[in-house]
Amino acid sequence: MNRLKRKQGKNNRQFLSMRNLPLTKILFLAGLFLLQGSGLVHAQGNKLTFTPHWIPQAQFAGYYVALDQGFYEEAGLDVYIHHIPADISSFDYLKNGRADVVSSFLLDAIKQRAQGTPLVNFAQFSQHSALMMVTKKESEIHKISDFHNKKLAIWSSGFDDIPVAFMRENNYEIELVRILSTINLFLVDGVDALTVMYYNEYDQVINSGINEDELNAFFFAEYGFDIPEDGLYCLESTYTERKEDLRKFVNASLKGWEYASQHKEYAIDLVVTEMNKAHLPNNKAHQRWMLDKILELMSPGDKNVKKGHLLEQDFYRAWSVIQANLSSTQKKQDVKLKNFYKPLAD
Amino acid sequence: MNRTSLSFKIISRILLFYLALGIVVISIYYYYSRTTIEEKTRENAIFLADNTINSIEEVIKPSEMIPENLSWMMETGSIPEDSILSFLIKLVKHNPTIHGTTMAFEPNVFKEGTPAYAPHAFRNGNTIETTNLWSPNYNYFIADWYQIPSILQQPYWSEPYFEESGEGTLLSTYSVPFYVYKSGNRVFGGIITIDISLEWLTDIVNSVKIFETGYAFLLSRHGVYVTHPNRNHIMNETIFTRAKELELPEMRIIGRSMIKGESILTSITLPDKGFVWIYHTQLPSTKWSLGVVYPHREMFTGLHRLNLIVLLVSLAGLALLVFFTVRIINRLISPLTKFSKSARIIAEGNFNAELPQITTSNEMKELHDSFEFMQKELDNYMVNLKETTSAKEKIESELRIAREIQMGMIPHIFPPFPDLPEIDLFASLESAKEVGGDLYDFFLVDETRLCFAIGDVSGKGIPASLFMAVTRTLLRSVADKNKNTAEIVRSINKTLAFNNESNMFVTFFVGILDIRKGELKYCNAGHNPPIMIRNGKEVNYFNITRAIPVGLFETYDYEEETIQMQPNDQIFLYTDGLTEAEDKDSKLFGDDQLLETIRQYPGASPEQMIRNTIQAVARHVNGYAQSDDLTMMSITYFGKDAKTQTTENPE
Repeated sequence: MNRLKRKQGKNNRQFLSMRNLPLTKILFLAGLFLLQGSGLVHAQGNKLTFTPHWIPQAQFAGYYVALDQGFYEEAGLDVYIHHIPADISSFDYLKNGRADVVSSFLLDAIKQRAQGTPLVNFAQFSQHSALMMVTKKESEIHKISDFHNKKLAIWSSGFDDIPVAFMRENNYEIELVRILSTINLFLVDGVDALTVMYYNEYDQVINSGINEDELNAFFFAEYGFDIPEDGLYCLESTYTERKEDLRKFVNASLKGWEYASQHKEYAIDLVVTEMNKAHLPNNKAHQRWMLDKILELMSPGDKNVKKGHLLEQDFYRAWSVIQANLSSTQKKQDVKLKNFYKPLAD
Repeated sequence: MNRTSLSFKIISRILLFYLALGIVVISIYYYYSRTTIEEKTRENAIFLADNTINSIEEVIKPSEMIPENLSWMMETGSIPEDSILSFLIKLVKHNPTIHGTTMAFEPNVFKEGTPAYAPHAFRNGNTIETTNLWSPNYNYFIADWYQIPSILQQPYWSEPYFEESGEGTLLSTYSVPFYVYKSGNRVFGGIITIDISLEWLTDIVNSVKIFETGYAFLLSRHGVYVTHPNRNHIMNETIFTRAKELELPEMRIIGRSMIKGESILTSITLPDKGFVWIYHTQLPSTKWSLGVVYPHREMFTGLHRLNLIVLLVSLAGLALLVFFTVRIINRLISPLTKFSKSARIIAEGNFNAELPQITTSNEMKELHDSFEFMQKELDNYMVNLKETTSAKEKIESELRIAREIQMGMIPHIFPPFPDLPEIDLFASLESAKEVGGDLYDFFLVDETRLCFAIGDVSGKGIPASLFMAVTRTLLRSVADKNKNTAEIVRSINKTLAFNNESNMFVTFFVGILDIRKGELKYCNAGHNPPIMIRNGKEVNYFNITRAIPVGLFETYDYEEETIQMQPNDQIFLYTDGLTEAEDKDSKLFGDDQLLETIRQYPGASPEQMIRNTIQAVARHVNGYAQSDDLTMMSITYFGKDAKTQTTENPE
């Protein structure tokens, strides 16, 4: 979701062409990657490919730390973290077998399950929603009801379930403007409001010279949508076959997050290294902010839930949002908690 | 004369003055130079920034014309649909600043039923390639370059971005909306873009060099570093993330002012460069902001170098000044050194010491003349002094001889009569000056009679001593066994009074002791009454005799008196130098104290008694100068049966 990354079609063309390469060439490139001694790969133990659902950033710091500190290796896993471009869904990698484990949003995962993908949530790391809307005070949106008939920019790649449910539940007519991934349209006043993640785009707005006191912020969590976000998913078959590996992966990852929370600068350095490898613009100030906020989201707060576990009522709240959002024309399967959520965290 | 200190004083005062003057002059010069440099630097920074902006605009402005013209051509339908691609290729080919160009259509604008079409021509090395940007995975309608200008309905310069294929060039896209007529209505047709490589712009901005480490930087519309000396900042950081990282809220304020497009001169303290001045202004086309940073301390590097030179020159000048001042002063005061030497030689006694030659007619000449005068006067004085001194020395030597003669006249061998056990005698004379007027004498007039006398001539010095010598000579010549003491005194008086024009006189006591019988006959001519010590116990003065001193009246009739001495009786004679000895408070020794002293030592021998008395007087005067002769004589009578028993001379 980096606004600086891709403006032009050419950028995308690169990713596209990458995907169109023959498999042999990809394997060759992967081999080169291994030979270069990349920190992403360890050669011992049971191989497990993990695909985060977004480009490298502090949102995934715990996994980098677990890998760098050898927590996976200690657990007997040979973990390979494979990032994908932002416009590709991690579920695609799960479905086509390129990834054993993916991270994803709870809402997206339930939607996938409802649409028939047999995926399982075996760990829920995020406990809260970071989704919010920001407006410039000059746009005269000071309360929720002011959004009526205003333009709200929202990503085309998803994450729109909550805003849509919010509009429906409140009977607001909000004009949704689909955007790719930057905040520029909002900055040049092309829209009245922008959907942002508190840990990411909100800080980007601040880092573009708009002061916090010039903004009005609306956290969906405060309007009945405190729906957890990042969790770990695999296919049911993988869950059946490699349950122990998955359990080790969850616990080693939790250990990585714990270590990251205690060694933030070290974790930030790892994040920056990963971003540089991916040729992504980055700066520590923003990644530091992101790590802090991600760690806050992982903390249960007033929710009665253990780390790595999903609260039952959070699942049902999410499922109710998806049920309402999926139109009657779309094919839809019932999603049962016991089938969807099989926690492996200690 | 301390020449060093004099030169030092003069030079140090001059130096101090010049130093103070120099400090004032340099301070004023420094202050005005600083102010001028500050002003000039500011002007220069503004000029530099404006110049850079112009250089950039010179490239950007014509480039902007291309899509704007294309937009107009599209609206008028000047470009046939089938030649759009070749048109775009030519456009890139003939415009070196353009890296690529796109004509992106709204749905159903290129052709009815075409949902999206975006022909794109771009430079790839030396060739120009073409492609259609649209694909199911790339929805250009929501890309910034398309979406923002289409929503705003105005041209838009995109934020800079790295071209991810090819060489990773830094690019920015200029998007211009175009319109077409459909069914006679003017509708939004799509976006025409050109991609411009920013390398030339980076070169222009990077070529700005201010002093040693001053630089220029370019911020995008949203604060991203487009150029910066630190390459890591470019496209990674915004000025606001740097402000956060460096914890510099002022930097955020500057950044906000910059993205608002303000042209301001401001300042900030950066951790690596210290206090810096920043002038920033906006690129009118892209709305990007150019900042020019010049470190405050480097502004004055040239001035400080100049200051160093000025300081060195001043120091050299000061050194020369000191050198010549020392030389001049030394030359001026060098005669003083010679005068000093001359003065020493003169002090050593050589009054004819050579004086330095003074040719000038200034103070030195006056000093020279005074010195010369002093020499002459000293010479004269010394001649006089020599004469006076030799005269005085002659008199002193004569007086010494006179004293020796005088002392030779009076007996001074004790005990005088070792063969006479009946008596013990001791006498002492201490003159106040070299020669005195006191006298004593004793001698045997026959085998059994001892004649003794003590006298005090009026006045002191040589006249008194001469008069004393005469008196003593007379005594010896007139005293014989046939004369009694009154006759002796009368005879002496007659002789002395005769032709005594100087009116000198002498108090005189003469006694003749019959050493067999102890009978003492005496005549006292105005002299202090002697003391009689009976058997070492009773101490009393003799009765006062009313007779005038000898030498005054030729015919005065003196009478003899008689006193009987018993064995172990002792008489003590003295002159008034004893009783009138003064201490520093002019208090006299006195008759009573004399008696007291004698009573303290009962039975003392004559010599002991006299020595004790001398000590008592010395204690009384306590170092005060003796003003009169001090003469004493004492005789102890042991009687005719006495054996040789004097302690002084046992034989």
